Amino acid sequence: MAVPDSQHRLPRPDAPGPRLLSDAREASLAAGLIARDERALVQLVEVATPWLLAVAQAMLADRDEAEEVVQEAFTIAWRRVDLFDQSSGRLMPWLLRITRNRAIDRLRGRRRRVDKARRLLALGGLGAGSAAPVEPDEAGTPGWQVHRAVHAALAALPPDQRDVVQLAYFEGLTHSEIAGRLAIPLGTVKTRLRLAFDKLRGGLSSLKDWVV
Amino acid sequence: MIAHDWFVEHRTDFVARTLEPDEERSFTEHLGGCADCRAAIARLEQELAWLPMGLAPVPPRPGLTRSLVAGALGERRGPPRWLVPFALAASLALSLGAWFWALGTTRAFERQLAQERGRLVEELAMTRDTLGIIREAGMVRHASISMGKKQGGMLIFADERTHRWNVVVYGLPASEPGEVCQFWFITDSGMVRGVEVKTDGRSPALLTLPMPPNARNVMGAALTIEPMGATGAAPAGVELAHLML
Repeated sequence: MAVPDSQHRLPRPDAPGPRLLSDAREASLAAGLIARDERALVQLVEVATPWLLAVAQAMLADRDEAEEVVQEAFTIAWRRVDLFDQSSGRLMPWLLRITRNRAIDRLRGRRRRVDKARRLLALGGLGAGSAAPVEPDEAGTPGWQVHRAVHAALAALPPDQRDVVQLAYFEGLTHSEIAGRLAIPLGTVKTRLRLAFDKLRGGLSSLKDWVV
Repeated sequence: MIAHDWFVEHRTDFVARTLEPDEERSFTEHLGGCADCRAAIARLEQELAWLPMGLAPVPPRPGLTRSLVAGALGERRGPPRWLVPFALAASLALSLGAWFWALGTTRAFERQLAQERGRLVEELAMTRDTLGIIREAGMVRHASISMGKKQGGMLIFADERTHRWNVVVYGLPASEPGEVCQFWFITDSGMVRGVEVKTDGRSPALLTLPMPPNARNVMGAALTIEPMGATGAAPAGVELAHLML
């Protein structure tokens, strides 16, 4: 993350620079948000936006709407930072959760699943919004190591479990919708999800203390 | 009433938000009164906190991060994205409307201009025709007319080429009630009734007259005062002028 040249100068959001957040840095960011320091917001937007966009876009399949959801997430982070409980979690997961919940609310509120399913089918099915393979030129992105670890945990799942996680967690479908999409019994969906999440919780447990 | 075991069983589903909407509402209501489930949910959220990062990051479009900062700070942003196509569509509709309105107005104006042009062309042709008779007149004859203190006259331009006359009657007062001023052709077979002449004592009356049908030889013209509505073949009233070519 770019360090401001001056304590009184707001860094440009698009300015290039080292983009790493240490544990202390994330705590500093959270403290900055609470203290209404606009520089903290700028840095958070720089680091978090690509990941939040990924979540929102995978669910909504709509770039413009995904950006609106991300905007909502940052607006909440800035104006309702009092909702963030530092003792129970990290800043980035909090933002991811807000974004994902907002995207799901939009999906369900606007009943856009039918259109989205059509778009996804047109794009070639589950692969379109799924956890993408690592690309070498992305390795410099902050958080890429976390992505690699999550991706590996997902890749370790049996394909049938990975598919239901994909639909449930990354595309925001409910149990019954997944059953309809995959043409399998509802109970099978629940079982596969339970097994998958149990494995993921174990696989991701080491990430609890990671910072972006 | 849902048993507590159901909530325990579906904690992960609640965190993953895979429950049906009514189930999700029930679970949310349950959390309000169940500390165990709240703690379990908080723990599950922490365990799955990084799962969304399984998706590959999406690079923001140029300028987005600046816009996001401005939006969060509540600074004035550009129009909402949904408004852009709406505004484009609205401006396109307005432009089309304006274009159709302008087209309609222009076409109406063009029609008006065409009508006006036709009228002017017709008037110009008539004026040229009238002037042509005067210019080409083979004979010009004049007769003075006295009516009380009024002094007027009748002037004839006879164009033998087109067989038409320009007749000017001037200086005569308006006809008395029940009377009209009548123009006559004098032919070798007798008088032939022509047209009534409107006199008003101010401006001259100008008539362009073709020769009467079936008249082989027109020799002159006369002007009389006739009773209104008279249709006789010969004058019955006072003769004002009698002019031979």
